[in-house]
Amino acid sequence: MSTNITGLVKDVGSLVTLPDVFIRINELVENPDSTVAEIAKVVSQDPSFTVRLLRVANSSFYGFSSTVDTVPKAISIIGTSQIRSLALATSVASAFDGLPNSLVSMHDFWKHSLYCALIARILAKKAKRCDPDAVFTAALLHDIGELVIFNRMPKPAQDAILLVLDSGDEMPIYLAERQIIGFDHAQVGGELARQWKLPPMLEECVEFHHDIRGELRYPREVALVHIANVLALMAEVHTFDPQDVPPIDSLGWEMVGLTPDEVINEAISEAEEEISEAEQLFLGK
Amino acid sequence: MVDPTTSRLALSLPGFEHVKRAWNEAYGAYSARLNPGEYYVTKNDEAIYTTLGSCISACIRDRVSGIGGMNHFMLPASSEEGGWKAAGLGSATRYGNFAMEHLINEILKNGGNRQNLEVKLFGGGRIIANMTDVGKRNISFARDYIETEGLRVTSEDVGEVYPRMVVYFPNSGKVRVKRLRSLHNNTIADQETRYLQTIEKKPVSGDIELF
Repeated sequence: MSTNITGLVKDVGSLVTLPDVFIRINELVENPDSTVAEIAKVVSQDPSFTVRLLRVANSSFYGFSSTVDTVPKAISIIGTSQIRSLALATSVASAFDGLPNSLVSMHDFWKHSLYCALIARILAKKAKRCDPDAVFTAALLHDIGELVIFNRMPKPAQDAILLVLDSGDEMPIYLAERQIIGFDHAQVGGELARQWKLPPMLEECVEFHHDIRGELRYPREVALVHIANVLALMAEVHTFDPQDVPPIDSLGWEMVGLTPDEVINEAISEAEEEISEAEQLFLGK
Repeated sequence: MVDPTTSRLALSLPGFEHVKRAWNEAYGAYSARLNPGEYYVTKNDEAIYTTLGSCISACIRDRVSGIGGMNHFMLPASSEEGGWKAAGLGSATRYGNFAMEHLINEILKNGGNRQNLEVKLFGGGRIIANMTDVGKRNISFARDYIETEGLRVTSEDVGEVYPRMVVYFPNSGKVRVKRLRSLHNNTIADQETRYLQTIEKKPVSGDIELF
């Protein structure tokens, strides 16, 4: 068994792969010379992604007043960079089908991730200055390292969970993982994002969502995911009481320029309204 | 609030020495950790905590003297559907009776007064989808038992789909119930399954010790 992060992530390299359509869109978006037509062509070559893209574009998720019936139209109104985010968001859950585990059901795992994504997107819209779709995708990915740890090292992973329970749920899971395994799921997720060559913003959000006080290139996005993660836990157990969940680093609220009392309940309620439709759009097969 | 630097771990009542206790910073008190199948009664100003999936915990105390405790149990699944309700019959009910009697008798034995008893109920969640709702059975049993004993449930948080962390302070009667994220579901279900296997292998004897 690999006991370091790089080795651990290399071990799963062949089991979890991103779809071609994302990789090709990613390359095109990174290249300033590429055109909407080129991106549309890549999208259209993947019928299943085309269907998912048009479903999302016509959902209440975007709330466009006119019907979005063609790929070029979807790209022009959603935006090229946002199409890249969507390509990842709609495919990441199935990418992990090859990495099962016995500690958490995939349904429960992705539901938490999706709550985090919805809330991050809602907060990003309120906070302005961040791309809500990019933050949505970053938040959807924030715990992917957990799936790697659960699959590759189930026994220590369960020991970490038992340590959390023994503490009366006072010790956060990432600290329990550091104590038992030597590293945590955020670091593993960050390494996976690096090996996948995901945009650096996503990588940073995944790697630092528990630890926002370092030198960061994308401090606002990381702070949004940090906050959204905790609010997602509140949504998951239907509570508005911050005592029920781990604390949010107050620096996070400063970074994003939002006042907790003004946004927490609204963001949670809104996400609870969106979750069923979002499950269909992003987690449906 | 107790200060850990000046207060020492008070002695536990006879028979409860095996229960693991440690200082808990968040509760500001020494805390006894209950595993499935265990129970704990105390006169001390301390906390008792446990995690519940489909298991159930009754928290019972004498609201005047503050003597009280918590149990943590479930009915074995081996009994036939519906059959468990016939009081006193079947090993399933016997196991529930055993857990409830022991808790109440220990409280009374240590000076608790029956007419001062208040009961709080927690747990019985349906934490694993697509399985028979064993939590519901445990809830009905506990409610029936308490009613038959002429006691009253003063507060409860039972059922639904969440595992729970319950922290009980018998001295004050305060309870803190925290619903746990689904990340813990399988681990808690595992613990309960292992406990269930031990009680199904070794059913309690028909006689309940009476004090």
